[in-house]
Amino acid sequence: MRRLLALLLLLQALYVGTAQAKHALVQLVVTQPYLEMRSGPGRGYPVVYVVERDEIVTVLYSRTDWYRVRAAGGQEGWARRADLTRTELTSGEPAPIPPYPDFVTHRWELGAGYGVFNHENLVTIWGDFGLTDSLDAELVVQQAFGTIDNRYMTTLGLRHTFIPEWKWISPTAGLGFGYQYVKDREPPAALQNSNQMAYVSLGVRGFIAQRFMWRADWRKYVVFTNQNQNEEPDEWKVGLAVFF
Amino acid sequence: MESRLSSVLLAAVALLSGCSWFHRGEQAPAEVVAEEPQGEPSVVEPQVTRRDVKTPKIKAKDFEIGGYYGALSIQDFGVNPVYGVRAAYHVTEDIFLEGFVGRSKAGTTSLEDVFPEITVVSPSGRYFTYYDIDLGYNILPGEIFLGRGRAFNSALYATFGVGDVHFANQDHFALNFGVGERLLITDWLALHLDVRDHVFETDLTGRTKNVDNIEAIFGLTAYY
Repeated sequence: MRRLLALLLLLQALYVGTAQAKHALVQLVVTQPYLEMRSGPGRGYPVVYVVERDEIVTVLYSRTDWYRVRAAGGQEGWARRADLTRTELTSGEPAPIPPYPDFVTHRWELGAGYGVFNHENLVTIWGDFGLTDSLDAELVVQQAFGTIDNRYMTTLGLRHTFIPEWKWISPTAGLGFGYQYVKDREPPAALQNSNQMAYVSLGVRGFIAQRFMWRADWRKYVVFTNQNQNEEPDEWKVGLAVFF
Repeated sequence: MESRLSSVLLAAVALLSGCSWFHRGEQAPAEVVAEEPQGEPSVVEPQVTRRDVKTPKIKAKDFEIGGYYGALSIQDFGVNPVYGVRAAYHVTEDIFLEGFVGRSKAGTTSLEDVFPEITVVSPSGRYFTYYDIDLGYNILPGEIFLGRGRAFNSALYATFGVGDVHFANQDHFALNFGVGERLLITDWLALHLDVRDHVFETDLTGRTKNVDNIEAIFGLTAYY
């Protein structure tokens, strides 16, 4: 209970801290006949106020596709992104509503998924940075749950997307290296509990909607051991990602 | 052939540059400067500086971070307090990605209660620590009315995900199913009530079976 209270206090402190860091707010002029303001950031919430043409609204912040705006009279509500893109700055320039990231040229990607590593369940998360439209650097952290062991893996690699313009499905191939740490569930212990490894991969990726995408990958690893033979496990996985 | 051509070209260049000699003394029309009337200084001295208009950025508050506290029913090990942290990223008004990290400590099984000399799990193995990564969907967004003058935005959501449960000194791959209600006290502070199930396979009590570990948690999150 004390922990919870401490957490609450921390949250409150953090919030007050950010709220006090005043920053300038964007002011927009309504150029359409009216701008609807809803009680919540969603299509089902009722319209609670309507701003007329040539009136000014102040944009406080955004949440997903909705913008918290304040009318000249102090009324606050949520305006739809598509409606705000049709407003203007007081200088007459178009409203600075950032466009959706373009799937083909996006830079950052963050995803998570499920897979099978050598017949074991696998939980995976990844971060991806686009060096060019077709070449990415990917960092993957994953955990495989074996019946006798449990392994954590981190890999860093490069991935090539063959035809990045193909939005819905596009093949990829990659290679990289990494590190694994094996923790035994049951004795006897493995001869080595940490290894270096390298992999090659084949995969597909595709766009879903807005900033959502999916990936499916197959990887063949070579785990370098101090025994006569290296391990050569393979891995399948699918996941969802958000791109920026 | 080539050297003859280049010498012809050189001669041509020399001739052309020489032509400018004939125009010396004359003023090219382009260089004529409009003379200002003397003794009558200009009224306005134009001093134009570039105006750089910086449009402030609109802050996006799509992240939700907070903590929770509740009760976790560890199958065969009784109901115990659980606490943890949660973080979510709202991708669209319907869909969000969420992560949980939590911990609880198991009690004793009925077998251990009846026969105190039996130990199913060692004391260090009684910690039930988990993480999971989930995909959430706001099924029923809406408002909750409190009396006549107050309305709070809310949503009933479902989550599904995968993760790890570390229990009895072993890691288990777990599937997670959850249903929760989010109530926004203000636009940045939300109350949560979730019921979540961590399902995994274990042979801890003798035979291999899937165990359901259901938790009811009460959370508080802030949007960033």
